[in-house]
Amino acid sequence: MNRQPPLVIDNGTGYTKMGFAGNSEPSFVFPTVIATHQSSSSGPTTQSTGGRAPPPVAGKPGHLASKRGIEDLDFYIGDEAVANSKTYSLHYPIRHGQIENWDHMERFWEQCIFKYLRAEPEDHYVLLTEPPLNPPENRENTAEIMFESFNVQGLYIAVQAVLALAASWTSSKVNERTLTGVVIDSGDGVTHTIPVAEGYVIGSSIKAIPIAGRDITYFVQQFLRDRGESAAIPSEDQLKVAEKIKEDYTYVCQDIVKEFKKYDADPYRYFARFAGEHSVTGRKYDLDIGYERFLAPEIFFNPEIYSSDFLTPLPEVVDTVIQTSPIDVRRGLYKNIVLSGGSTMFKDFGKRLQRDVKAIVDGRIAGSEQRSGGLIKSSGVEVNVISHKRQRYAVWYGGSLMASTPEFYNVSHSRVDYEEYGPSLVRRFSVFGSAV
Amino acid sequence: MILLESRNTVINDVLLDRFEKPSRMDIQFVDYDNVRFHLSTADSKTVILLSMGIQCWPDLIKYGAREHLQKEYAGLVLPPNETEPEYDVTLSIDLEKLPPTAEERSALVQKLALFKSTAMSAPFLAAFAEQAQLQSSYKEPAGAQQFELPPAESQGELKIIKYREEEAMFIQARHDRVTVIFSTVFKEETDRVYGRVFLQEFVDARRLQSLQSAPQVTYSNREPPLEIRHVPGLKNGEDWGYVTFVLFPRHFANPTQALSTIHRIQLFRDYLHYHIKCSKAYMHSRMRARVAEFLKVLNRAKPEVATAERKTASGRTFQRR
Repeated sequence: MNRQPPLVIDNGTGYTKMGFAGNSEPSFVFPTVIATHQSSSSGPTTQSTGGRAPPPVAGKPGHLASKRGIEDLDFYIGDEAVANSKTYSLHYPIRHGQIENWDHMERFWEQCIFKYLRAEPEDHYVLLTEPPLNPPENRENTAEIMFESFNVQGLYIAVQAVLALAASWTSSKVNERTLTGVVIDSGDGVTHTIPVAEGYVIGSSIKAIPIAGRDITYFVQQFLRDRGESAAIPSEDQLKVAEKIKEDYTYVCQDIVKEFKKYDADPYRYFARFAGEHSVTGRKYDLDIGYERFLAPEIFFNPEIYSSDFLTPLPEVVDTVIQTSPIDVRRGLYKNIVLSGGSTMFKDFGKRLQRDVKAIVDGRIAGSEQRSGGLIKSSGVEVNVISHKRQRYAVWYGGSLMASTPEFYNVSHSRVDYEEYGPSLVRRFSVFGSAV
Repeated sequence: MILLESRNTVINDVLLDRFEKPSRMDIQFVDYDNVRFHLSTADSKTVILLSMGIQCWPDLIKYGAREHLQKEYAGLVLPPNETEPEYDVTLSIDLEKLPPTAEERSALVQKLALFKSTAMSAPFLAAFAEQAQLQSSYKEPAGAQQFELPPAESQGELKIIKYREEEAMFIQARHDRVTVIFSTVFKEETDRVYGRVFLQEFVDARRLQSLQSAPQVTYSNREPPLEIRHVPGLKNGEDWGYVTFVLFPRHFANPTQALSTIHRIQLFRDYLHYHIKCSKAYMHSRMRARVAEFLKVLNRAKPEVATAERKTASGRTFQRR
């Protein structure tokens, strides 16, 4: 019998990416949101909010005797949920990367597997992802749902950062397959810098940066508003237009001052025009796109132009993360800085980051050489930022890559093991790819 | 979502997208019951190959699946020697020869998304045709003669489709009905219990006034029903169950009705397993709610910590803050 491909499901805070192992792109990408019927869930939850916060559960489902209908099947997920948000109430089962509401998550997976992937879970292995520092209880809960409700053949829960590292193996710049490196994972809500040594996350050194995709969009929007361009845009499309500009026109420059001069010398060449259409009336409008083309992603490198409370540039954060990691992996970490997530897709983002990190490192080396009075000469530290084609869905792609190797079946937890040891099985963490 | 859809969402989505802007691809995916799909562009961007590997293909081909596919997807089915290796049937879609209007295109996508269902529907259609034939030849007036009629004459060939490793589907036409029997097995103890309750409920549901015209369902545990008892290799045991659907001519009177009947009944096993899983999820959410309630009670029951004044050696008191 030929084996069915494993299912790879990456549930993120914003979006769920899922598909089958061996493919280069997820088959489905949609918001991680579930729309349940108001009457069945919102009523009871409100009454239980008084006093100390109880563990988050959906509304009390009532007694079995009172269950006559099929209310528990009346829900939508993903894009359909958003489309039905008028008559249903939306819930986001994942907050900050971690699953908060298990009832909703279980039902979310139900439809993921049966409606979208159309796979009988009993025939498949499943690869799920988890954020770094996910508590082991969450892993156990996940395993319980997967094995008890869905009867999956086997389960592997991978750390997102490790998968992102694996995805970087596709880059031509990578010639040795290592699971040591720093992952810069920037999605819509938050940017994480995660050091990984030989497949294990160095939890104490993880740093989060409160600047990510949504902030860049707001920044672009602010530019448009300041220049008065936004008067032309219909108010409900403002954010969408800003997002479009961010995705299609922006890039990272190597030197801001030079870039400004370039734009001022020949504005017609560099200023772009954006043509939009009102979605209801069909009225056409034009926008000028100016300095925001290179200033928008610049907030990673000079956060002071956007926010007043977070002021550390990304290269500095990366350097701190590496400097706080154990000394014997630092060289490996500098050598392998990997980008993942949609907000690292800006043109030349990797190049700029590499240059800035290199400058910090070289400065420090020069300083220590000088302090030693010229007695010690450093051989230099290699700094490498790796960007590749699969960056946007890097985590999913890494999962697909891992799950399509024969080794996957050895490292994942099988159904037999689960029956023998129970959910605590998944506390044991077996690293993937240590042999490759 | 109560019923599962018959169309494959991946085929639907990918083709809708690629019909607009052709690009290279190589996607492998699955459908229920060990069906594998492969969507690829082999030589040029504009020729899409859609291959299907289906476990019961040897059975299906016996009942005219290839001919049926050729009829449904005229001009798209590649001959057996050009079929992609490791797959059973391949369709080739040339994007340059697509129908011009948007409606026709989406109709084509719809049809392609039903690829698996269409292949699986061949034995059903054959059985329906057989039934019609038997019915027309069955002209005896009601009365004494009916008793003398040997039953063997009025029934068609028993079609067996082994659509999964251990489970099979049996279809038999008679002069007045078509019987469809599923053998089901549950690997898990819990599933078996849920499954039995669920199937019993299924049988009972028909007694409702509003469901009188639904096909008759019977369920037998352990023992296979009489219609297929002569088939060799049937297992009977605690984990085995047999579900019988009796379709009357009114259930497949016109082609659209016949198709919708076929699509529903094909997905019966997946429907059953989907609902077992949903029931479990529902039970789990009840359990979680109950645990949360109990925790509340436990928290209330905590004895209050006596806050006696404590003194240091020198006799001074201090307060905890």
